[in-house]
Amino acid sequence: MEKKLLFSAKNITKSFHGTQALKGVDLDVYEGEVVGLIGENGAGKSTLLKIIIGAQPQSSGDMIMHANEFAPKDPMEANAEGIGMVFQEQSLIVNLSVGQNIFFGHEKDFKQYGFVNWSKMYAEARKVLDEVGCNNINPRKKVIDLNFATRQMIEIAKVVNVTKSGSDQKCLILLDEPTSVLNEIEVQRLFVEIRKLTQKGHSVIFVSHRLDEVLEISDRVYIYKDGENAGNMKTSEANEAKLYEAMVGRGTTTEYYKLEKQSKPQQGVVLEAKDLGLWGSFKHCSFKLHKGEILGIAGVVGSGKEELCSIICGDEKNTSGELFVNGKRKNYSSPSQALKDGILMIPKERLVEGIVRGLSVGDNIALSNAKNLLKNGLISKKKMNEQADQWIDTLRIKTTGRQELLIQLSGGNQQKVVFARALASEADIIILNHPTRGVDVGAKEEIYSLIRDIVAAGKSVILLGDTLDECIGMSNRIFVMKDGLITGEFNADANEKPTQVSIVSMMM
Amino acid sequence: MLKNQAKTKLNFRENLQRYFCFAVLLLLVIAFTIMEPRFLNAANIVNLLSDSAPLMIMAAGMTPILLLGSIDLSIGAMCSVGNVLVLTLMMNLANTISNPAIVILLSIILTAMVGILSGIIMGTIHVKLKVPSFIASLAFMSIFQSAALLISRAPQALPKKLYSTVKWYSIHFGPIGLPLILAMLLIVVFYIILTYTPFGKGIYAIGANERAARIAGIKVDKYKIIAFAMNGFCATLGAVFLMAKSKSSAPTVGDAFTLMVISAIVLGGTSLIGGAGNILKTIIGVFTVAIIKNGMTTVGVNVYWQKVVYGVIILIAIAIAADRSSRSFVVK
Amino acid sequence: MRKENLAAMTITDEFAAKIKAENQRERLMKWAPLLVLITLILSFTIARGSAFASFGNLVSILNQWSIPLLVALGLTFVIMLGSIDLSIDGTVGMAGSIMSVMVLNSRTANDFGILGVAIAILSSVMIGFLVGVIHVKFKIPSFMVSFCFMNICIGIAYLSYSGKPAVINDTFLKSLTKASFLNIPFITWVALIVLGICYYIQEYTAFGRHIYAVGTDETIPKAVGVNVSKVKIKVFTLAGLCFGVAGVVGAIRLGQGQAAIGTGLMFPAQAAVVIGGTSLSGGKGGVIQTVVGTLIMTVLENGLTMLGVNPFVKTGIQGVIILAAVILTVKHKATVISK
Repeated sequence: MEKKLLFSAKNITKSFHGTQALKGVDLDVYEGEVVGLIGENGAGKSTLLKIIIGAQPQSSGDMIMHANEFAPKDPMEANAEGIGMVFQEQSLIVNLSVGQNIFFGHEKDFKQYGFVNWSKMYAEARKVLDEVGCNNINPRKKVIDLNFATRQMIEIAKVVNVTKSGSDQKCLILLDEPTSVLNEIEVQRLFVEIRKLTQKGHSVIFVSHRLDEVLEISDRVYIYKDGENAGNMKTSEANEAKLYEAMVGRGTTTEYYKLEKQSKPQQGVVLEAKDLGLWGSFKHCSFKLHKGEILGIAGVVGSGKEELCSIICGDEKNTSGELFVNGKRKNYSSPSQALKDGILMIPKERLVEGIVRGLSVGDNIALSNAKNLLKNGLISKKKMNEQADQWIDTLRIKTTGRQELLIQLSGGNQQKVVFARALASEADIIILNHPTRGVDVGAKEEIYSLIRDIVAAGKSVILLGDTLDECIGMSNRIFVMKDGLITGEFNADANEKPTQVSIVSMMM
Repeated sequence: MLKNQAKTKLNFRENLQRYFCFAVLLLLVIAFTIMEPRFLNAANIVNLLSDSAPLMIMAAGMTPILLLGSIDLSIGAMCSVGNVLVLTLMMNLANTISNPAIVILLSIILTAMVGILSGIIMGTIHVKLKVPSFIASLAFMSIFQSAALLISRAPQALPKKLYSTVKWYSIHFGPIGLPLILAMLLIVVFYIILTYTPFGKGIYAIGANERAARIAGIKVDKYKIIAFAMNGFCATLGAVFLMAKSKSSAPTVGDAFTLMVISAIVLGGTSLIGGAGNILKTIIGVFTVAIIKNGMTTVGVNVYWQKVVYGVIILIAIAIAADRSSRSFVVK
Repeated sequence: MRKENLAAMTITDEFAAKIKAENQRERLMKWAPLLVLITLILSFTIARGSAFASFGNLVSILNQWSIPLLVALGLTFVIMLGSIDLSIDGTVGMAGSIMSVMVLNSRTANDFGILGVAIAILSSVMIGFLVGVIHVKFKIPSFMVSFCFMNICIGIAYLSYSGKPAVINDTFLKSLTKASFLNIPFITWVALIVLGICYYIQEYTAFGRHIYAVGTDETIPKAVGVNVSKVKIKVFTLAGLCFGVAGVVGAIRLGQGQAAIGTGLMFPAQAAVVIGGTSLSGGKGGVIQTVVGTLIMTVLENGLTMLGVNPFVKTGIQGVIILAAVILTVKHKATVISK
């Protein structure tokens, strides 16, 4: 049966602040089909979805919806064209009822003589819920009383409703990681509903890191890598191995990660986790970190690796298991305590958690070690300036000087300042959470070289790589986390690096 | 190119903010002098300056709180408590201790300790129990108001025999009295603390980006509580000065100060959002507020217009200083 | 694949269980204010017997309840946004004072009657509007804007009668102080009517629903095209309306217009709203909860007076109560930032 083309994106590029998130990707969706979209973190999936839903414009490239040019200025225009998105973070207002959430923002459609006819709205809500097969949900119930799976269905109902807007047009529903909070049974129920939708002629783009699920529900799969098309195939012709191969691919040169500088870790154990766990995020994590070692943790978003790092650096308290630092059992209730033992994290969200935008370069560098700059009880401006200048020089931070406000620097240089701060703090165990995120290539190489140097000098590093490639390239050892558990461990000596494929299979 | 434009824009706003407080001060002086030349009389200036001392002390204590991005609405009530407490202590101690110097010293020390303790308690509740500072301070304002009334329900006068204990308050060097010098000294000390100690730098960092400060290993909780303790200390110190000035105490004497303290600090260029501000400029802000009060009285403005004027001036000052830039954080 | 997911299922289930536990706790907490109210009534009845539980005293409580209820109703919507309004003392006093000099009174030659009442209420509506606009357009925290306006309004109140309060001579208004229907005084009826209006707005208008959304997370309503700024401004304006009515009613009851009509109203209102269950962080609660909260505060005040508690201590007790209420309802995670 000849399927009609519902939506098409051609040669979409997107750059922000000098980095290219999308380098020219394509995506076609036919009526009545489920298209899976997979790729590593940073491959560009979320970026594309945001462009399709109108939350941000593309830098170049065209989109077609219902055979017309499609360039939404905001999500509401996309909705009017029949495209709706269920975001990863739930967007329901929990203290309102199901019906009120479905029609939120559109209450005036039910206005009669200046008052809202709620009964009419609830009747409509019933119809919408039926449309997505949820006729057992009472639209008058408050969302806060419902479980996640039901909430997910309501999100879908809400989106379907918005996109239908009274016409017979077929809709395109974007689902971004819809199964991350669902258990197996709930996932199957979701699939049943998705199939009902497609039977009516609507289409779905299904983004997920759970490849088995993608293979089960999709008709075709697109694979993105580094902002580019890495292939697309019919799921009937695909299997997990083929998908992994497409997702990873060209490794980068050994020079990039300064492999020649990769040192061997020493024997001493500086940090040990025994059965560490945080309720609801991860559990049974046990590993050792040696002096002079770079330990990489690989895993997708939601695997628990971020929370693990929060626990180690003292930002959160673990709910099970134990942490040993230099042989002593430790229980941190704040990062300042962890810093006393020489543990410091360079956080992932640089702008929100890493830099203090309104302070100068010098002040930012001195953030963690102000007490080391004292002379006669007061901070010596001279020492602070010397320190700032030294790091600006060593890390080649592009700035007009230590007085410059951090907000003026580029992302890469801001990150270097954060690095400088970590190194100035003389922490021995540094947790690098996506250290090269948003940093240009040249600066990245400098940072890699720097990491090699400090590790050779005896510091220990836990690395959450920005890409899997980086993780493999930089680490001495890697362990993989998936859904809150450690699923594998790999040796990553300079001359026998594991392949991306082998690791990816344990991540997803 | 865009960066340069952004830089010049920043400079203009920076300059506006930097010199705003001086400009306001100058404008007010000129305006009041035009309306009533007696305003610039030597006697009036002396009056004005000496009036500023208690306000300056309390503003010194509150500045770190605002730098943190928090607020303390109880400072006036705390001052009232300190005011009645110190006098009551003095009167009671005078019965058993004959040396008036010891009487006042002891009273001041005890009162200050109460102030510090109150600050610690309020700070701890705010920090450890995550109660927003304005609600915590609002609640404590009620508690302090009750406490002040319980300590002394009516204004009390300092007994004549203890007058010697407050003689130091009237010492002056030319137009500037000792109290004002002490107050400015306190500000300078706080300036040094805020600029040259890890604690001070921590305060700025916490106010600018608490999350980043926490991850960087700054002792956020501890520093916040210390700031509140310092604030409590200053509130009671200001109360002592008030007592020395009027040689009496009253359980509601401090209540009006809350608004004046906040006005003074904001007029001195410290942002309500936190993370930016120079405590030395609080001095200008304090003088500005004193001038408003004194000026309106000298010119003969109805005392109730003063409330309106204060309210309007603070609003304008904050509106100008408010950072409406792309900072997407939500203001509630 | 099943084996792999068995352990994984546990993490997802753990997370779901965590949320479920939180929800259950919240559901229980919903009943807490009512229990507190019942406990208070019982305790005072035991302590004071018929003096407290008499019909006369209950009517008295209803009487005392009216103005705090009016004020708390307006405040409820503001707090549901996650904001705060500290201007109450000033706005209420201002409305009462302006009304007293607009109708037939002892200070001015005006005799606007009902129009005077309307003008007074309009003035506080305008103040509410200004607070909302300045807060939204200049991104100044609501507590600061409202704090400034409190002082401005107190100033205006005093200025309206130039120091000497105006005694209301309008016969109709004077008669209202004694008027009652079904033994419930007129003033209480006004409060109940406003309560009805507010409840209707909250539950049956789109605007009411939008308030919850904005208070929960601004980005969600913004994404569907709801004008968040407009919602906020409307809320503060509505609050101004409630405060205006409270002021007018207060002046009628007092027989004269005084800035002091508003004094001391703000704090019990804040306490009442929070105790009733409307969280300071916004997005939940409502006027029914505020009804319970204000009843608690009024019963408490009435009972404490009856017990002969030192009047100076009462404000302090209110402070302790509001602290306890907030501590119990706020999130305690270490990484939560509260300023």
